[in-house]
Amino acid sequence: MMTQKTDIYQLKNGMVLLGERLENVLSVSFQFLLPAGASLLPEGCCGAGTIIADWLFRGAGQRSSRELIQALDRLGIHRNASPSAHHLSLTASLESSNLSEALDLCADIILRPQLAADQFELSRQLSVSELQGLDDDPRQKAMILLYEHFYPDPLGRPAIGKLDELNGLSFERTAEIARNIFNPTEVIFSICGNYDFEAVKHQLEKTFDRPSHGGLSAQLPVMKEKSYRHFPTEGAQVHIGIMTPAPLAASDAYYEMAAAVSILSGSMSSRLFTEVREKRGLCYAVGANYKTLKDHAGIACYAGTTPDKAQQTLDVILDQFRILKNGISDDEMQRAKVGLKTSLIMQSESTHARSSGIAADHFLLGRIRTLDEIREKIEAVSVDSVQEFLSNHPFKDFTVVTLGPKTVTL
Amino acid sequence: MNFEHRQLDNGLTIIGEVNPNAQSTGVGFFVRTGARDETPEINGVSHFLEHMLFKGTDTLSALEVNNAFDRLGAKFNAFTSEENTVYYAAVLPEYLMDVATLWMQLMRPALRDDDFNIEKNVILEEIAMYKDLPQFEVMDQARALHFGNHPCSHSVLGTNESISALAADQMREYFSRRYAPNNITLACCGNFDFETLCKLAEQHCSEWNAMDTFRKIEDTKGTLKTKHIANTNLVRQHICLLSPAVSMQDPRRYAASLLGQILGDDSGSRYYWALTEPALAEVASMQCESMDGTGVFYSYICCDPDNTSRVLAAVQELFEELCKNGITEAELEAARNKTLSALTIKCEQPMGRLVSLGFNWVYNQEYRSVKEDVDVIHAVTLDDVSNLIDQLNPGKFTMLSLGPKTI
Repeated sequence: MMTQKTDIYQLKNGMVLLGERLENVLSVSFQFLLPAGASLLPEGCCGAGTIIADWLFRGAGQRSSRELIQALDRLGIHRNASPSAHHLSLTASLESSNLSEALDLCADIILRPQLAADQFELSRQLSVSELQGLDDDPRQKAMILLYEHFYPDPLGRPAIGKLDELNGLSFERTAEIARNIFNPTEVIFSICGNYDFEAVKHQLEKTFDRPSHGGLSAQLPVMKEKSYRHFPTEGAQVHIGIMTPAPLAASDAYYEMAAAVSILSGSMSSRLFTEVREKRGLCYAVGANYKTLKDHAGIACYAGTTPDKAQQTLDVILDQFRILKNGISDDEMQRAKVGLKTSLIMQSESTHARSSGIAADHFLLGRIRTLDEIREKIEAVSVDSVQEFLSNHPFKDFTVVTLGPKTVTL
Repeated sequence: MNFEHRQLDNGLTIIGEVNPNAQSTGVGFFVRTGARDETPEINGVSHFLEHMLFKGTDTLSALEVNNAFDRLGAKFNAFTSEENTVYYAAVLPEYLMDVATLWMQLMRPALRDDDFNIEKNVILEEIAMYKDLPQFEVMDQARALHFGNHPCSHSVLGTNESISALAADQMREYFSRRYAPNNITLACCGNFDFETLCKLAEQHCSEWNAMDTFRKIEDTKGTLKTKHIANTNLVRQHICLLSPAVSMQDPRRYAASLLGQILGDDSGSRYYWALTEPALAEVASMQCESMDGTGVFYSYICCDPDNTSRVLAAVQELFEELCKNGITEAELEAARNKTLSALTIKCEQPMGRLVSLGFNWVYNQEYRSVKEDVDVIHAVTLDDVSNLIDQLNPGKFTMLSLGPKTI
């Protein structure tokens, strides 16, 4: 039912093109993963990716800032450019008939940005504003702090930046980084939806098959001690972030881990929702997700609650993580599996989700998993195999961050 | 795509858009009730009731309900607005009838006291959560200011006080008045058999009793007042502008929606060039929200408190320029194309179609195919938008600002 064909091609310069055609849609989504994520930035440049993500659109090729935005808007492109730990990603979704023009505009943006000095200051100012705005969004801020304390440095560095480093960045230094984001052996392009792969190949060969601009080099990550940190703020709630190490996507235990996370927090019948919200009314928002980088992964949990309930909320959540290994029922297992399979099929209907999915697979696993393969692997998970995984990988070494008017104790 | 429609004797409407090529199916109950149908004493009851539906029926406990949805792999949830409460689920086609049956049962909930008391805590936590999110708080306050005595001023969540004081009996009484079959539409999209769905509905819903479900409908120009709420804990200034727009029943709503995009899309709009591009504000957006018998243009701006007066001056200049010279054909074309591509992306999945399908029926008792929507967006002219600017004068607005700066 879900058999699909994956298109793969490599340009001579090493850039990889991945594609998956979807029938019955009029749209197409694509993305460029550029090796310029927050962890690749030089010391003292935290947040440069956010500046660059805005700056690239302020004039490229022969087009001024205004002409470039007008050209993108005329094609009705829904786009986003943002940095993560590994990549600066540029994503776009649009009606298929405008694909070729959209790709040409992206070539200008990535390869020929104007990077004018006056525009730099505006991009920097917006990045500073965005970072300051995080203080009015404590939930998101708590999670950014959590990732920073969980992942080894520089992998946990906040892509949104740090105030002193954003303010200290010079035009020259940032421009130099921006000129080095195209290192073709590390660039991944993926596309999904209604497109002609031969035409895309041909076009990208003409526009992107050029030598490296140099590239940014990765630093050796330094592990951090797992600990609890509190960030005092005035607010109605305490925002709690909890993270525990988990296997990588390439691990043999990946699907067992995914089932365990689903039993903990995949849905409204899952353990966290039932125990924390339904039975005790401690929170409105509580949930856990798998978060992975290339060589480090964890399960991240968020809960927001009023100060008097913070300690109990944390205790109940940690307890749920710890007691999962004591036993899971057949019914829980079945619900987790059908949930995972349904998400998979629904994701296969979305061009955006699928183009991200194939790019992530290629980056994390070095290959693309077919939907059939994923489905078979989900089918093969059993109560016994999840129990075995949990006894071999008990959830422990929790990193905990709280933001709000009250501390908790672990 | 094939549209089907049926009405049961008690007034329950069933509509479907059948697409045999879809991999999934979306189903939803659209109840025509929300904060505007509440009195101040029971403010927040619609949203609280939405939570309570998941607590089960006389024969199903809350845990059994959640287990049942999850056994079907359903992606399910609900939302409440000023005027609608919508319950929906997306599932693989083989589970559609099971999930639809479950929703039909839940539409007659037990509303037990114990569940009510526990869930009250969750609602109070939700209110606390939004208090920490000024981008929501500012909208809630601005709505109350703009709508004044109009029922659309009511907060969807209610307040700490109204929720704390609410009794289960008041909720039961509200339920019996508002969840009548003649006030509910069952909509379904994707790969499914319409006849089977109708048979199920007859089996499970035909005993529901029709009621008089009156709603007061009137338009309002808004109070056009200005108010500042000081909060020194905040770091940014959050500004919300509301001005009259057109209703869901008004054919000009397509032009109004395009105008909202021209003025306040996150890329290439008037707000973008006046506020975001020059780094005066990091967020500046505007959209048209059409509602039952009324409508608003809603803008949200977030900026450095020290930039507030420059931002407001830029906004004023922008609207003066708009009223004087209107918009250009290039702006209209970009807005059309952005709207059309959003439409095609949304249509990739049946769940994306469900809400449009349901709301078209709830507000106008009409079916509109994607093709019809595309055609009507193409047909909007520069004159249509210019006339709208003259008629609505979006430069005259209610303003609420929330932040450390008192202006």
